[in-house]
This record gives sequence, C-alpha cells and structure tokens, in this order.
Amino acid sequence: MALLVVDNLSVGYQGQKGYLQALEGISFSLEAGKSLGFVGESGCGKTTLGMAVMRLMPSNGFIRNGRIIFDGEDLLEKTDEEMRRIRWQKIAMIFQSAMNALNPVHRVCNQIVEAIVTHSPLIDKKEAYEQVRDLFQLVGLPENRIRDYPHQYSGGMKQRAIIAMALACNPQLIIADEPTTALDVIVQDQILDEIKNIQTELNISVIYISHDISIVADVCHHIGVMYAGQLVEYGAREEVFNNPMHPYTRALLSSYPTLTGEKSHLMPIPGEAPNLINPPSGCRFSDRCAEARETCRRNHSVWLELAPTHKVLCHQCGKNCGQ
Amino acid sequence: MTTADTGIELSERLQWMNRLIEGWSIYKKNLLGKIGIILLVLFALMALCSFIPPLLDPMYQPMAGVDPEISTATGPSTRHWLGTDFMGRDILSQLLTGARIAFMVGVSAAFMSVFLGTAIGMIAGYVGKFMDTLLMRLADMIMVMPALLVLLMLAALFGQLSIWFIVFFIALFRWPGVSRVIRAQTLSLKHRPFIEAAKVAGASNLRIIFRHIMPNVLPLSFLYMTFQVTSAIIIEAALAFLGFGDPGTVSWGMMLQWVWKTGHMFRAPYWLLPPGICISLITLSFYMLGRAMDEVLDPRLRKEGETD
Amino acid sequence: MELWRYISRRLFQIVVIFFVILTVLFLLFRLAPGDPVSRMVDPNLTPEDAALLIQEFGLDQPIWMQYLYYLKNFFTGHFGFSFHYGQPVVQIIGDRLPNTIMLFTTSIILSALVGIFLGKIASWNKGKKMDTSLTLGALVTHTLFLPWLALILIWVFAYKMGWFPITGMISDEVWIDPEIGLWTKGLDILHHMVLPLATLFLIHFGSYLLIMRSSMLDTLKEDYILTGRAKGLPEKVIRNHHAAPNAALPVVTSVGLSLAFSINGGALTETVFTWPGIGRELVFSVSHNDYPLAQASFLLIAIVVLLSNLVVDILYAYLDPRIRY
Repeated sequence: MALLVVDNLSVGYQGQKGYLQALEGISFSLEAGKSLGFVGESGCGKTTLGMAVMRLMPSNGFIRNGRIIFDGEDLLEKTDEEMRRIRWQKIAMIFQSAMNALNPVHRVCNQIVEAIVTHSPLIDKKEAYEQVRDLFQLVGLPENRIRDYPHQYSGGMKQRAIIAMALACNPQLIIADEPTTALDVIVQDQILDEIKNIQTELNISVIYISHDISIVADVCHHIGVMYAGQLVEYGAREEVFNNPMHPYTRALLSSYPTLTGEKSHLMPIPGEAPNLINPPSGCRFSDRCAEARETCRRNHSVWLELAPTHKVLCHQCGKNCGQ
Repeated sequence: MTTADTGIELSERLQWMNRLIEGWSIYKKNLLGKIGIILLVLFALMALCSFIPPLLDPMYQPMAGVDPEISTATGPSTRHWLGTDFMGRDILSQLLTGARIAFMVGVSAAFMSVFLGTAIGMIAGYVGKFMDTLLMRLADMIMVMPALLVLLMLAALFGQLSIWFIVFFIALFRWPGVSRVIRAQTLSLKHRPFIEAAKVAGASNLRIIFRHIMPNVLPLSFLYMTFQVTSAIIIEAALAFLGFGDPGTVSWGMMLQWVWKTGHMFRAPYWLLPPGICISLITLSFYMLGRAMDEVLDPRLRKEGETD
Repeated sequence: MELWRYISRRLFQIVVIFFVILTVLFLLFRLAPGDPVSRMVDPNLTPEDAALLIQEFGLDQPIWMQYLYYLKNFFTGHFGFSFHYGQPVVQIIGDRLPNTIMLFTTSIILSALVGIFLGKIASWNKGKKMDTSLTLGALVTHTLFLPWLALILIWVFAYKMGWFPITGMISDEVWIDPEIGLWTKGLDILHHMVLPLATLFLIHFGSYLLIMRSSMLDTLKEDYILTGRAKGLPEKVIRNHHAAPNAALPVVTSVGLSLAFSINGGALTETVFTWPGIGRELVFSVSHNDYPLAQASFLLIAIVVLLSNLVVDILYAYLDPRIRY
C-alpha cells in the first residue's frame, strides 16, 4: 500500500480581497522509500501542498476538500494533539537554509535534541546528544561545531543541520521545500547528493518541492508539474522529462538551458499566472498556451491517462500534441 | 533652477499631496487617533479660554487674583468652579492657563528639537564620515544624560530659570533621539535614483539636502514631534513641581508644587486632582496621536488586510 | 573573546563620556554668574577656614591648574564640605548611594520582568479582552505624571488607609532600638519601600509591556516558529522557549535607552517620598545652594547612569549569542 495518498485536495486562503484557491483537486500517491518531486513557478501552490500535508496552515488557511491518507489514516481527521505527535516523528520537513529556520538564540545541538526529546520523552538528554553527534556525522557536519549557534554556520552547513534535524526522529516521510534554492551550485550539488544518499540508505520517502525541474528530475522517481494550484502533469521522471505532454511542462523544459545537444533559443513563457481568487472556468493555462482552443477556455480540463503511470490534465493531449 | 530640479520638484510635490490624502483616510479609521485628536482639541479650547476668566473679573487672575472674600483653600463653589488655592486664587483659571503654557512649552520645545534633530540627522546621514561620527558621538553623550537633573544643576548655577530658557534646554536634550531616526532615513534615501539625478544635474550638497531629502524625511520628523511634545511637557512639569520652574508662569506642574509644598495634598482633592489629570491626559492624547500617525507612516503597522 | 572586546570598548566610551561631563561641569561652575569661590567654600566660614579650603582646592590658581586640582580631588574623593550638613560631601553621598541603588535597581528589574511577562500574555491573547485591558492599562499608567501618581498613592494608601508610612525609608523607633533584629529592620525598610517602588513600577512597566507585545507579534511570524510547529512542539513551548527569548531582546534595548528617563523618575520619587537617596540629595542641595553637595550628587548620578548603561549592554550581549560570538 502507498505510504501517502492525497485524494482531491483543495486548499485556500481567506484574504481581505476574497478567497484565494491555492490548491484544487490535487491527487497523487507516494510509495514508501520513493521520492516525488513537485515543480512549478512561484505561486503555483507547491509550498502550500507541503504545508497542507503537515497541516501547518496559517490561521487564514483552510483545507476545504479531500483526504490526506498517511500510513492508512486520514490526517485531516486527526485532532491537533494527534497531529502534533505525528509531525516530525512520522513526517518531517526540510526548509530553505536562507530562511531563518533555526532559532538564533539557541545552540544547534539543543534544537535537534529538543526534537528528539519531544517525541521520545523517556530518552536521556545525554543519549539524545549522542544521537545528534551521529546525525552530524551522517550529514557530513564537523563534530566540533555541534555546540555552535546558527549564525556561525554557512548556508550549506545550515542546510545540512536542517537535514540532520529532520532525520532526528527517523521519519517515514520528509517534505523538502526548496532545500537548495539559496545555495551556490557546488554546495547545491553536495546537498542533493546528500539527500539522495539518505533516501536510499534510510529508505525514507521524500517529497521534493522546487521551481527547478532539472533538480527534481535528478533526485525524484516521479515528477508532478503544478500550475496555478492544479497538478497538470504527473508521471515517472523519465516519462515527464523525456516525453512531456502538457504544454506548460514543455514550455518549462524548453526554458532551461542544457549542457549537451544542440544550442537552441531559450523560450520564456509569455503572460502571467491567473488570479486565483477568481480562477478561469476553463483550463487555467489556456491564455498562455500556444495550442489553446475554444474548448480549453470554456471547459474544465480532465485527466488523460497516457500510460499507466503518466497522466496529463489537458484537453488537447493525446489528440494533437506530441505523438 | 535647472530643469532636472523642476521636474523632480513637481513629481515630489504630487507625491506629497497623494500621501497626505492617503494618510488622512488611514488615520480616520484609527480609534486611538480619533480620541487623541478630540482630547487635544479640548485642551486647545482650554488654552484659548484661559484668557476669559481674568477679563470677567480681576479676581480670576491665575497668579495675582485676589478674591475679596476668600483667602484660603476652598472647595468648588459657584464663584470658583474648581475651588481656590491656599491664597484664595481661582483654580480653574490656573488650570486653563496651564493648558496654554503646556501647549506653548510642548510645541516650542518639540519644534526646536525636531528642527535641530532633523537638520543634524540629515547632515550626518548625507555627509557621512567624520562629521557623521562626530555628530553621532555627541548625540550619544547627550542621550545618556537625564535632562531633568541637568536642568536642576543649571538652576543651581544660574538661579531662577525663565520659561524660554527651559524650553531651549529641553530642545537641546531631545534632539539626539530625532537625529538618529532622521539619519537612518537619510542613509536609505542617499542612494535613490532621484538623488543621483540631482547630483548629476549639478546640485550642491546643501541644495540636495534641503530641497530633495528634507521633504522625504519631514513626515517622520512630524511624527517625532508628537513624542517630543509629551516629553517636553513632562520635563517642564517635573521641573516646576520641584520648584525650579519659571516663577512667573502658572503651569500645571507649578500648581502641583503649590499643593504639595503648602501641605494641602491631603485635604484639597479639588486642587490636587485637576492638574495631574490634565498632565496625564495631554500626554496620553499626544501619544495616541503619535501612534495613529505611526500607522499612517509605517505601512507594516497597518491592520492586516488593509494593504493593496 | 568577542565579549571582552565589546565590554572594554563600551567601558572606554563610558570613561570618555564621564570625562566630558566632568569637564563641562567644571567649566559651568566657573562660568556661571557669581563668584566661583563661593561655590566651593561656604560663605559662612571664618576667613582662616576659608583660606585653608581655598588652598586645598587650588581656587586661587589659574584655571588650568584648578582643573588639575579638580581632577585630583575627584579621584581622591575630596568633594569638599557640605554647606548644609557641615560634613564631608563624600560621606553624605556615600550614605545615600545604597538607598538609591536599592530602590532604582529593584524598580527597573521588577518593571522589566513584569512588563515582559504581561506583554507576552497580551500578545497571546491579541484582540481579546485580556489584551485590550492590558494594553489600555499600560497606556494609561505609562502616561501618568509621576510626582502626581506618587502623591495620589500617598494620599490613598498612606494617609487614608494608613497601610504604609507617608515618608522616609525607616521608622526611627525601629532603628534606634538595639533589641530589634536585622530581619525586622529589613522588613521595616521594605515596608517603607512599597509605595515608592509601586510608583516607579507603575510608570515604567507599561512601556516595556507594549514593546514586548509588539515584539512577540513580530517574532511569532518568524520562520523558526514554523520550524517549531513542524517539529510538533506544544504551543506553550514555542511561545515561551522559542519566541519569548527573541522577543525580549528589544525590551532590554529599550531599558537601556530609557535609563536617563528612569533616573529622572527615581529622583522625583525619592523627593516626594523623602527617600534618602542621591536623587533627593541633589534636589535638596540645589534648593539650598549647597554647591559642593549638588556637584558631587550630580556626578555620582552620572556615574550610576553610565554604569547602568554598561550593565544593560552586557546583559544584552549575554542574551543575544549573535553579539557574543
């Protein structure tokens, strides 16, 4: 059975100007030990998705519809107290290092010990400290920096510390939200390797959120492409990367340079993402899509299954686009 | 005036007016601000009315009024709505005069300190380097000193202080606070394109400071004026309370000094309460005014959801 | 270590500032209208005594020599004789200093701690009755006129209710009696300290409360708070262990910035309650033209303020690891 099944999830934020539909009808599943990446531009809802799975919505956020079934149980039915116990213990999160994710006035080791002790109250502080040392070794951080404060770490070190902290309670699932965004490419590469190793060694499922499809394709078994709050394409990494079906996915891929192959022009995607307070009734990508038709603009898109693991939310695919 | 200057000036003026209008609409929604303004208007009325009682009858003179029938402290009556002090002088007219003095002291000292603070802050921020260090070190030194106690020492050395001397020195002690803020603002403005444009157009430093930077820091100065008014009023009141105020002015602090020193504080609540309430309320209303203005000037303080 | 460098730098700054104050005071005393000699030497002394003093303080020397004498005398504790008390000034202010420290320090610590605590609570209950009443309370108490509040407190609690003494720091009967133990004498001081402490506390805690409240609201938006929630920490732990220590830092800064204001308040409180501290001594000596005492009191107060600033800075450096390391 899949570790995580998200079924028709809709999430929104109540703002002064109206209700913003951040996510609509998101459905996917994730097996234990596998990794799934969500790609999309800013505002597409990928961070909201991560937050929703952990039920960390802010006070003006609402999960309207759907189910989040983790390890056989619907997380949306859990009480706050139950959810609190699940967080970090079963599902952990890795934040961007550029964020102030670590409390500046507490030592790094203490913050990790806190995570351990909260979920295993019987554990001795000394033992927890030993675990922290092991974690540091695992993520490649020097042991003599354990008792430092966060501001003394470099960006890459902070990211590793955040990873170490996420692993502290041996979670089954880790949600990584743009973990390498603020780092330079060399450190980015190291961190990605780190995550891949951890994933295979410890058999942890990973949901990887990024705006960078090349990273996601490197790390994840499956890729989900998001646009304007909807999942528009979903499939195994080879399928999506080598045979993108949705016009948005294709546009996304062609807006990245490649090191090999013919030199071609980079194609930015014209236009802007739609206003999610009043989303268009038809396909949300239609006004930026080169292949849009009348049906696209008028009718809600439906899922088209191109292969057992590859599906696309588009009117046109299967008929006209690609092969 | 160069063309660059005129162009910049016009757009700046329009920006200014827009902001003023926008600011007022935000201010109107703030409850504290409204209460603050109402109270201040009441006090202003009090100040204006201070001229009335002596005109009605010389016995209502705050300092020299002599009531032919009363020469001790008495409670409120139809003749004296708030009663009389230990010499038989009318308390209400003293209170009204106190309002006038409070405004005078508060606004003058605030104006002077903000004027000084803005000028120094702009110069320190814009010119930078040695001048900046020098001025800010000076500001640090002054900020550490307790204004009231220094004024006491001055009173010891120079005898009775006149009200304008007091006002001037209060301003001298309060400008550092303003200058720090203005300096910070100037630093952030220094590198904006419109300043660069003016420099390229050949404007001198002085011109840039006063023509271009000043209009942009003035709203902040104005905001700080409200805080400065309250501290000026309090310092003068405390000084008068201790007996070192200007003996020729009847301020609320002076009234409290009289109640206290003549031993009437336990038996004349009609005399003890009004001046203290007035000082506290005027402080409160300026503070509320300042907070409401703060919200106008700093968009981050506005209630969530009002931004666009 | 960074911390020592920081402290020594601040110490140096303070010493410089103090020297400036010392010099300015010296100049003021010489430049003010009237005979400078009469500022140090009681006009009522006999000519022989006066001559002795003049020699000791170098008052007949050229000004730069006088300055050196002035500095030397300051560092050896020769502040002259009080005109009013007839005793050496240094003895008087030495007696008064502990009383001021006792009252002043306690009031600042109390108002800061309570302000932080209540500000924290107000921020948790934002928008609700608890918050509105705390904020309003803070606003009102913090704008009250200190001497007036003091008088009202005396009137209500000392005069009308008789719960507390009206003035002073000790009851003479208690202190003169050799039979009464130290503990009781200590309690007597505390009993006298309640109203002055209450006055200072009420005036100051409000601003700390308001600052802590807005600081907490800002801090709760920080990313590490989200991390805390993601870690599954209980809300209480997040607020008290993660948010509050960060939110309290601006309050500490504010305590430092308002020290001058606090000492003004301290002097006023001592005067109204006749608490025998340096603040009151300053006011008293100025009204009685007791120049040597006034000068020394002022200098001592300046030292107290400067050192308090240093203490607050050190405290801040200790609390914020970003400064220490």
